[in-house]
Amino acid sequence: MSLSTLTKDWEPMSYGFLDASAKREIRRKMLKAVAVPGCQMPYASREVPMARGWGTGGLQVSLTLINPKTTVKVIDQGADDSVNAASIRRFLSRVSGAPTTLDTLDADLIQSRHRIPEEKLREDQVLVLQVPNPEPLRPVQPNMSIARQMHADADYGRMWLQLYEQIVRSGRVMQGASYPSMVNGRHVMTPSPIPRWDVPKLHMAKHLTILSAGREKRIHAVPPYTRVEPLVFDDVPYKVEEHGDLTCFRSGAKGFFMNEIPQDDGSSTYEISDSEYGVKTIKQAEGTETAFGESWYQDGEMS
Amino acid sequence: MAYVATRGGERAIEQSERLFRSAMGEITEDRVAEIKKAMPYLIDRVMGEASLYDEDLAALALAQTGGELFEAVLVLRAWRTTQPRLHVAEPIGQDELFTHRRISAAFKDIPGGQVLGPTLDYSHRVLATEVLNGSTYAPEKVDAADKPSPAYQPSVAVWQAENDLLDLPERDETRPEDIPDVTREPLLFPSKRAHTLQSLARAETGGALALGYAAMRGYGQAHPTVNELRLAEAEITVTHPKGTQFSAGRVKVSQAEVVSKKGEKLELGFAATMGWNEVKCISAATLDLNSKGAEKGSATEEEFYLYHTEGVESSGFCIHFKLPHYVTFQSSLDAMRNAKAKKSPKPEPAE
Amino acid sequence: MLSAPIPSVEETRANQAFDALLGSLSRPGQIRKLPGAGEASIIEALLDRECRVFCADPTLMPQVLESGAMVADIPEADHVFLGTMQNAESLLSVSQGSDLYPDDGATVIVRTVLGAGPKVRLSGPGIQTHQDISISGLPNGFWQLRQDLIRYPMGFDLFFVDGDQVLGVPRSTKVEEL
Repeated sequence: MSLSTLTKDWEPMSYGFLDASAKREIRRKMLKAVAVPGCQMPYASREVPMARGWGTGGLQVSLTLINPKTTVKVIDQGADDSVNAASIRRFLSRVSGAPTTLDTLDADLIQSRHRIPEEKLREDQVLVLQVPNPEPLRPVQPNMSIARQMHADADYGRMWLQLYEQIVRSGRVMQGASYPSMVNGRHVMTPSPIPRWDVPKLHMAKHLTILSAGREKRIHAVPPYTRVEPLVFDDVPYKVEEHGDLTCFRSGAKGFFMNEIPQDDGSSTYEISDSEYGVKTIKQAEGTETAFGESWYQDGEMS
Repeated sequence: MAYVATRGGERAIEQSERLFRSAMGEITEDRVAEIKKAMPYLIDRVMGEASLYDEDLAALALAQTGGELFEAVLVLRAWRTTQPRLHVAEPIGQDELFTHRRISAAFKDIPGGQVLGPTLDYSHRVLATEVLNGSTYAPEKVDAADKPSPAYQPSVAVWQAENDLLDLPERDETRPEDIPDVTREPLLFPSKRAHTLQSLARAETGGALALGYAAMRGYGQAHPTVNELRLAEAEITVTHPKGTQFSAGRVKVSQAEVVSKKGEKLELGFAATMGWNEVKCISAATLDLNSKGAEKGSATEEEFYLYHTEGVESSGFCIHFKLPHYVTFQSSLDAMRNAKAKKSPKPEPAE
Repeated sequence: MLSAPIPSVEETRANQAFDALLGSLSRPGQIRKLPGAGEASIIEALLDRECRVFCADPTLMPQVLESGAMVADIPEADHVFLGTMQNAESLLSVSQGSDLYPDDGATVIVRTVLGAGPKVRLSGPGIQTHQDISISGLPNGFWQLRQDLIRYPMGFDLFFVDGDQVLGVPRSTKVEEL
C-alpha cells in the first residue's frame, strides 16, 4: 500500500461535481428508497452550487446517475425554457459533459419541478422530481419526529380526517397539487407538488421515479409497476383538474394540462404546460415531420 | 410563428447575472486582501456559518457576492462540500485555548481572572463622520498591562462542578474520527449531541439570535446567566502517519457557557463556533440551555431551533418562492372554482 | 474555467455498477450487468468509511478495508457480503432496521448461479404481473426464512451475483417457490 494507490490525482472539480463519498451515500439511500416505495429515507444532502429550495435534491440525484452518455432533459412547470430549468440544465451538462435534449422521447434522465411530461415515459427512462416538502403529514403534523412515528405506525387517520372535513365544508377535497397518495398500499407520500392531473401517471408506470428533497434531506421513490393511489373515499372519486376540454392558444394542442393566461378583458386563455409538446404540435402543423410518443391522456381522458 | 425559443431563458439568466456582477466591478487579489484585513468580524461570521475556516476564501466569497451574506455562506459551503477530508484533528479542551477575552457575569472575579480583551462593549457608538471629510481615523495605541493575563484558563463550569453546584456532562470518549459529522449524515431527532453542537456552530447568526432572544424574553423555561464568554485561538493538532503530533496552525474560536438554576443545581448550556461571534454563542448556548424538556413545537425545542436557524436552508427556501409556481397555483384555482361552482350552480348561459 | 469533464475509470465503473444495482432492484427478476465479475464493483459503488460491513469471504476483505468501511458482525453491518451461502441461518441476525428507520435494514449480497436451478415466482413493486426466475446455490429454506423474517417496511434487500450478472430482490418483493 502506498500513497499513490490510496490517493488520486488532484482535480479542480469531481466529475459530476459531487465527490465520490457524497455519491455513494446517495446511491445507498436510493437503493433503500426503491426497496420501500414511498418511504422517506433521510440523507446528508450536501450543499451544491445552487440555493436550497431550487432543486438541490433532484440535482444531487441527477449528478449521481449521470454519465457522459446520459441524455438529460430538465423542465420546470412543464417548460424547458423556464429560467431555473435552463440553469439546472446548463449546470448538469457543464459538470458532466452529458448531452441535453428538450424532447421527452430522447431523454434518458428527466429532472422536473412540478410536472410529469405528457408523453408516456418508457422503461429505460428515469424521472427525478424535485421536492420542496417530502412530508404529506406536514399540514396535520409539522413536527418531523412525530410525523415519522405516524408513518411507522401507518397512522394516517388525521390525514383522512382532514380530507373528510374538506368534503364536508367545500363539497370536495380542496387539495390542489401534491395530492397525498398511498404507495404500494403502505406509505402515504406527497408526489412532490405535481398537479392532480399527473398523479395517475405514477400508478403502475413503466418508468422509475425518484423524488428528492435537498433542503429537507429526504429521498423517496416510486419503482416501476407500483401502485400509487390517491387517498379518496369510495363515494367521492378522485378528480383531476378540469383541463380536458381546454385548447392551447399557441399550438392548438387539446386535452392536456394548461397554464391559464389572464387577459385584459377579464377572460382567460390557455397554453399547454408541457412546452415541448406544444412545440412539437406546432412543428407538425407547419408540416415538419415530428415524432410524438403515446400520451398518458387521450382526448383529455387518462387512458 | 414557432414557439418561444428555449434559449430565451438561458440568455436572460446569463444577462441578469452579468448585471449583478457588473455592480461590483473587477475582483482582484488586493480587494480580497483588503476585505480580509478590514472586516475580521464579518469574515468570522461567514466562516462560522459556512463551517469552513479559511479567511482568504471567506473574503473572496464576500467579494464575489457583494456582501450578500447568505450567498457568501452558500458559495463557501458548496466549495467545502467537495473537499476531501484528509485528517481529523485532536479534540481540544477549554483550558487549552489560547484566550484573548474571557468574561463571566456570574462572579465578580473568577479563577484566571476576568480578561476583557478586544470589545466594543463599553465604547460609545458614535460614527466617525470626519473620515468622510478627508480625515483619517487612527485607532489609539493600546497600552499593555503591567502583568499579562494568563493565556490558558480553566472553564468556570469546572470550578462550579468542584463546588457541587453543577454536574458536568460526562466525558465523551468517542474517537475523533468517529465523531458524527452533520455535514455527512442527516440530522435526525432526538439529535446526537455532536450534531446539535455542530448545527449550532453553523447556525445563521440572526436566526440563532431571534430564537435565543425569544427564549430570553420568556418563551423559554430558563433565564441565562453568562457563566463565561470566551474568544480564543485553538491549536489544530494533527498526528502524522508516523505518530508524531504537530500543530497545523491556530484558528479563532468563540464559546459561551450559560447557566440557570434548576433545583439545587445549575444547568449548563453550551455553544461554540469558529471565528469570533459573541451574539451567536450566547444565543445558541441559551437555546441549548432551554432545550431539555422543551415542549414539542416550541422555539426552544431542538428540532424547532436546529431546523429554523439553518441559514443556507432557510434563506434558500425563502428565495425559492420567487420561482414560478404556475402549476401548483393552477391546481389550487381549479379546486377553488370547482368548489364554488358546487355551492352556487351556474345558470345556463343566455343565448 | 472548466474543461469538458471526463469521468475517471473508477467513476465510470462505480456509475455503471450502480446503474445495474438500481435497475435490478427497481425491476426484481431482471438480470443486469455489472462492469466486472463478482462483488468488486459493488464495493466500489457503495462502500466508504460511513459503512459497517460484514464479509464472509476473506478475499474481499482487502478491498473492503481500503474503502474505509468498518468491519462488523452481521447484526451491526449495513452491508453483508455472504459469499456462497452454506446455510440459511446467516440471515437470522441481518439488520432489518426499525419501524422509524427502515433504511437501516441491510443490503445483503449473495453469490449464486442465475438462470439455473429451482424456480421462484416474484411479484410486487417493479414487476407488472409476476416474474419467474431460476436461481441455484442458495441453502435450503432460504426463501421461507426470508419470508418469516421480513416485517415490511422493515427488512433487508438482496442482490444475487453470478459473475458479472446481478439480480435484485428488495424486501417489498413477494417470493413464491414453484
